[in-house]
Amino acid sequence: MLYRMDSMRIKIIKPGVLSTIQDMGRHLYLEQAVPVSGAMDTLSARMANMALGNDDTAAVIEFTYAGAQFEAETDLLIAWSGNGAVLAANDKKIAADRPVFIPKGTIVNLNSKPDGSHTYLAVASGWNVPEVLGSRSTYIPAAIGGLQGRALLAGDVLDARANIHPLTKNILKNLKGLDISYPTWSLHREHLLPADKRLIRVMPAHEFTWFDGPSLIGFLSEPYTLSLQSNRMGYHLEGVVINRLVKDELLSTAVAPGTIQVTGNGKMILLMADCQTTGGYPRIAQVAVVDMPLCGQLKPGDTIRFEEISRHEAEMLYIEREKKLSTLKNAVGHKFL
Amino acid sequence: MKATMRAEPAFNIYYLSESAVTIEFGKEIGEGTLQRINNFNRALLEDPFPGFRTSVPAYVTLSVFFDPLQVIASKELTGADCYEKVKLFLEKLQKNPVHVTTSKADALTIPVCYGDGFGPDLEEVAKVNKLTTQEVIDLHSNAVYKVYMIGFVPGFAYLGGMDGRIATPRKATPRKAVPAGGVGIAGEQTGIYPLETPGGWQIIGQTPLKMFDAGRAQSALLKAGDNVVFKPITKQEFDALSNG
Repeated sequence: MLYRMDSMRIKIIKPGVLSTIQDMGRHLYLEQAVPVSGAMDTLSARMANMALGNDDTAAVIEFTYAGAQFEAETDLLIAWSGNGAVLAANDKKIAADRPVFIPKGTIVNLNSKPDGSHTYLAVASGWNVPEVLGSRSTYIPAAIGGLQGRALLAGDVLDARANIHPLTKNILKNLKGLDISYPTWSLHREHLLPADKRLIRVMPAHEFTWFDGPSLIGFLSEPYTLSLQSNRMGYHLEGVVINRLVKDELLSTAVAPGTIQVTGNGKMILLMADCQTTGGYPRIAQVAVVDMPLCGQLKPGDTIRFEEISRHEAEMLYIEREKKLSTLKNAVGHKFL
Repeated sequence: MKATMRAEPAFNIYYLSESAVTIEFGKEIGEGTLQRINNFNRALLEDPFPGFRTSVPAYVTLSVFFDPLQVIASKELTGADCYEKVKLFLEKLQKNPVHVTTSKADALTIPVCYGDGFGPDLEEVAKVNKLTTQEVIDLHSNAVYKVYMIGFVPGFAYLGGMDGRIATPRKATPRKAVPAGGVGIAGEQTGIYPLETPGGWQIIGQTPLKMFDAGRAQSALLKAGDNVVFKPITKQEFDALSNG
């Protein structure tokens, strides 16, 4: 018998604080000052996609904290990952980091979980929104990407793309039933992350030596707290003030998510997914890309420390992480093909 | 007697992240540096390396973004790691003679309705500089500007070449919303807001042109290296162009 594949669909009942469609970001239009955007925690977003056999670049919903609620308007094959909330239906927790079958009519809640800020919901083959400038990521200031360039609202209906991967079809065939069902295994996201999630590895940035010794020592040893002025563009950090040794003015130049800038009053800003493409504040450090998912789960009031690593180490850590991810991806394939 | 060293023009590469390096072409803003950046960028875009994503020109730098996995996998690029591979490629590209067609590009004309409800700060700019509003308009629209970089928000062009006589400090309190198309002055700079955003620039007028439109083949109307002139238009012309 042929497997009938209806387009999967959900309806947003409560959108929560900020829920947007994101993917791995918009990387090809930086020269027109179009920010990268994309998931704040790319690792969790990828885990959710990987659990379904989706491409890494499939669009996911990024929920901020708890409070959102949606209804399955059709049977669904989903996977969720992240630390902003816990998904639950009928007061029962839905397990994370694995494929989950959800029957039509189920109401899913995002319940609170205190340890992070963002949660990702993937659906078989990805959420179906148009690609804008090579990405489905929402960038609200320019109203591009995602669902009409905006955050999700109550009543929004989202459907999944139709072209389903054979692996994804097999996963669905395996789990489909009358009730919510999921396998006992999960993708061990924790194994990819360092034990200390509040220690952020950084490489010195180009203007590192523009700051005085005590400030640099403070930067690499003292705790910094995320202020309330923290959002998808960047985090304002509170802690030991960073003083300038070199008072030169930096001519605006390219920056990237992970860049830590020092403003005129000695405060630091850690740039995140929606950051501007250029900046004129001197840069003290660049967060290692492998630790950006940790940063993407921070919330105001969280305290972090910075640890220096070399550029080469940062690059090696990244390549190692990607190798592990590709092994994990193959493992999912082996389970279902 | 020591041989006199010919000063090599600056070309220093530093890393920005695992997926980007920045080339510094000097320390000071100028048309010469801008030209060198644009020439090098053109050569890079004509002959990109495996994994190249995009390059971002700025006042004295060109930042080159790439996919580290493609770079590391490339047999064509040599070096111990991604940074070295990209750095060596860029240094080699720098040594190649660059065939530059220095055809003087025509200036793009940006129609602007000055004052008249479109430029709430025109009078302040005139007052600060002890000029009439008409003199401000004349000085602003008689210059040929150079686009040095695109940054801040999608499609925002940093323009060089404004007459110092209309330089005006930013507003003490930024506006909550500057409309898309707002033409402003901040210190010695002038620019056009492509999107409605908060902003502290002195707004002297507005253009009906869409400076950024993601649905257009070239989303941002301007790019680094372009020449730009402003042409005063009336409110009627503004309305006609807005609807066109």
